[in-house]
Amino acid sequence: MKGAPFMNDLIIPGSVSSPTVRLDAARGTMELSGESYPQNAFDFFAPIIDWARQFLRESPSPLTLELRVSYLNTSSTKCVIDLLDLLEGAHKIGRRVQVVWYCDPENERAREAAEEFREDVTLPFEIRMEGPGQ
Amino acid sequence: MEKAALDLYSLRRSFMDGEVLICFNGPFSHSIIEEIGIAVKRYLETETASRSAVSDVFAVFVELAQNVQSYTGRLKERKDEPGADAGTLAIGRRGDSYAVSAGNMMDHSDVVGLSERLETLRNMDKPGLKALYKETLRGPRLPDGGAGLGLIDVARRASQPLSWSFREIDDRYRFFSLSVII
Repeated sequence: MKGAPFMNDLIIPGSVSSPTVRLDAARGTMELSGESYPQNAFDFFAPIIDWARQFLRESPSPLTLELRVSYLNTSSTKCVIDLLDLLEGAHKIGRRVQVVWYCDPENERAREAAEEFREDVTLPFEIRMEGPGQ
Repeated sequence: MEKAALDLYSLRRSFMDGEVLICFNGPFSHSIIEEIGIAVKRYLETETASRSAVSDVFAVFVELAQNVQSYTGRLKERKDEPGADAGTLAIGRRGDSYAVSAGNMMDHSDVVGLSERLETLRNMDKPGLKALYKETLRGPRLPDGGAGLGLIDVARRASQPLSWSFREIDDRYRFFSLSVII
């Protein structure tokens, strides 16, 4: 099934303190990679959360969130929780949504953080151990 | 009056005696936090610290630095205290551990609230801190744009109880200093 051609993709290039963002409407994927401690996390994540909300409203297609984020500061963590809550709500009404969280196998702390996010939701949530650059 | 030249040797001795690896004093901007963050990570990685230790030191550095930036940013409009817009940050060794310390001028009216908050965190065990963290994650955003999570996250990553002090500067200001051992 085709995605949502009426929606725009959202691409945000990464910086030292903000992740690269690729939100692809046709594929139904939201990819974030890098580190996240921007000056204002709420401003940074607002368009990402809006995009997900619009996708879930306007497209019947599945949506996958793929995270390769090695560090999230606490404000970014709160924003990711808001995003997960949105996906969880969609899951509960029968939408096909899933999360794939990639972790550096040598960084135990990153895996613990991913597991803590997973504890709070019931949607399909996979943690994959993969080194950087793989 | 002419000021004496900076005594670099005594400054250097203080750094070496305190096992300071990186220190910054001045106004905190986002780009300075990014630059120090890069230096911190490079340094710790060459010291062959574990990835988890690098993560914890880096995370505590970011939370403390962003707290200092946010608080001193609010003090900036006040011209009555020279240096109110500057923060001080140091990352050092403590035997096999690392210490991240940050300090800034604080209005005396903010001291009681902050010390109560720190006291609460110091008396909590790790499961209690995790529960408080999760509860706060679902709570409202604070008026200053923060999430109220920073100090809880710092306490969770610390290997020893948090230590802090408020030094009296004058009627209005205290110098707040917080040290976290990881």
